[in-house]
Amino acid sequence: MTKRFADAFAGLSAVGAKELRGRMRGRRAFVILTVYLVLLAAFAWMMELILEQRFGRGLAGSATYASASIGRGVFTALMMLETLLVAALAPAFTAGAISLEREKQTLDMLVTTPISSASIVVAKLFSALTYVFILIFASIPLTALVFVFGGVAPDDVVRAYLVLLATAIGLGAVGLFFSALMRRTQAATIATYFGVLFVTLGAYFMFFFWDEMSKSGNGRGIGPIHGRPPEALVWLNPYFAQADIMCAVEDGFGEWCSRVAFVAERQVFGGAAPLPTEAPVGGPAIDPAFPDFAPDVEVVQPFGVVRDSFWPKSVVAWLALAVVLVVASVQLVSPTRRWRLGRRGRARPSRGVAA
Amino acid sequence: MTGIVRAQGLVKRYDGTLAVAGLDLDVPAGEIFGLVGPNGAGKTTILRILATLLEPTSGDAEIAGASVRRNPNDVRRVIGFMPDVFGVYDDMKVWEYLDFFARCYGIPATRRRQMIGDLLDLLDLGDKRDSYVQGLSKGMQQRLCLAHTLVHDPAVLLLDEPASGLDPRARVELRELLRELQTLGKTILISSHILPELEELCTSVAIVDRGQVLAQGRVAEIEQRLRLGAVLRVRVLGDGDAVEAARRHFAADADVASSALLADGTIELGFRGDDEASARLLSAAVAAGLRVTSFARAASDLEELFLQVTARDVDRAA
Repeated sequence: MTKRFADAFAGLSAVGAKELRGRMRGRRAFVILTVYLVLLAAFAWMMELILEQRFGRGLAGSATYASASIGRGVFTALMMLETLLVAALAPAFTAGAISLEREKQTLDMLVTTPISSASIVVAKLFSALTYVFILIFASIPLTALVFVFGGVAPDDVVRAYLVLLATAIGLGAVGLFFSALMRRTQAATIATYFGVLFVTLGAYFMFFFWDEMSKSGNGRGIGPIHGRPPEALVWLNPYFAQADIMCAVEDGFGEWCSRVAFVAERQVFGGAAPLPTEAPVGGPAIDPAFPDFAPDVEVVQPFGVVRDSFWPKSVVAWLALAVVLVVASVQLVSPTRRWRLGRRGRARPSRGVAA
Repeated sequence: MTGIVRAQGLVKRYDGTLAVAGLDLDVPAGEIFGLVGPNGAGKTTILRILATLLEPTSGDAEIAGASVRRNPNDVRRVIGFMPDVFGVYDDMKVWEYLDFFARCYGIPATRRRQMIGDLLDLLDLGDKRDSYVQGLSKGMQQRLCLAHTLVHDPAVLLLDEPASGLDPRARVELRELLRELQTLGKTILISSHILPELEELCTSVAIVDRGQVLAQGRVAEIEQRLRLGAVLRVRVLGDGDAVEAARRHFAADADVASSALLADGTIELGFRGDDEASARLLSAAVAAGLRVTSFARAASDLEELFLQVTARDVDRAA
């Protein structure tokens, strides 16, 4: 066991060090990072100006409210843009991870070393994603500027970045899988983006289609399509996961909440936290039949906002998909696959070599 | 079977095509062992099975006691594999390339630096330490690839067509290098379809065709075992008639299967006898008054041997 652990560590360290050395060598990586942050800062600044202009045109409300609204707006814009960047970059970085080794004819030399196929695949995934992680983490100070305006709490930022990281890992695993499946990087890249489009927009379209069809026939649906479409169809759509977080920061039941309400199986009209059935100490008695009418009792869950009901499922779905795809990639990379489908794949007993 | 590399009944089938057909192999430790055969004979498949890159359809092979089927990871620790076609990583320096593979074998950082320096010196790449790998010449890349097989000091090297694409000078250098590695105790399995290249290098060969070993052992032993005979080259003093008379004298001997007079006056004899018989033939010639200036057994010709062995196999198959 110790030997296997040592091999796994050696493999992760070897492949990780090689990949990072290549990726971070010279000025290229730092120039890209700088340009990315400058563009992101410019975008945030422009969003702030747009929102400031809106509030400057005589919208009612206090300066504090306006400032908080600007903070929420900038935060939302930054997160949506970063989600788009992660969706574009994570698969791009991993789609060539294995296929490039095949194209350059270096994979054979790598798999004849004692490092396991699992180490190769996991190290490839995380070293390819390291640069994406660097881009994500480097944007945190910029995103933290929204605290100057208010309207967003630190835990909202943490939630949004958790979704970003899980999305990056999941999308990276999609790229890695196609890279292990296909011989050519070009084909792997095309298949990866089609795969990403399928699990995000394609799945959402299926959800939308189901929803529309289920309303036909006086609400009875068509054929097997009836009732509410399953929420799981949109778990892998990072925009809905981010929308869930944005819903929590917006005041009242706004556009983000209504988007999430459309797809999520959640109670949007309050009540996620049970309404109090016992009176606070020293407070007036509550009639259990009519808790809402209990005098002077604060309703714990405000209207329309049920926090953390959708994005955690999205995070778990992305991570589960990543695990499945990594296991499949390991099988594809292994020179002597252990799991095969069909009768031809059964392991045959070996008879050894006579001395 | 007592060799460090052993295979028994090895079969590899690709979608109905039989690439290796029940191959048996026994390579003693310390040998430079050549796998000789035409393109498509199954040499690369055999080496890839031994390198654990392919799983045999049936049969098994062992390297240093570890089975390629049951303990592929143990096999990987004792072999260094150089594929016939290989690439190099971009954006990587020569020392980083070796450092990467050394890390793969779990060699600690304290040993890696010294080992990389020693290997680069051994392979005459010391001055290229900080060069980028993709900027090296083909010969240097070939040497670097060979260096990567040595980072963990393996007992067995599996080299698939290591000299292909090299210029004559680089081939000579590679040959010298492999001899040096043999003196360091390595067992080297080397495949090639360029027979003169192996002839000068290998201590033993296996002649492979259509996935089977047709003959295996030292070249001279194979010749003897197959009773293929040797070639004797004789020169005698005298004019054309005297040389022709000498040829007829030799042709009359029972052990001489054929005789020919070459353009430069050399008499070439196809000889079936052993060393004792050739000594008797020379004594008889001198006693008969032939003025012999040169009498020598021609060096074993692997190309000729290969053609004869494969021709016998074709005849048998017919």
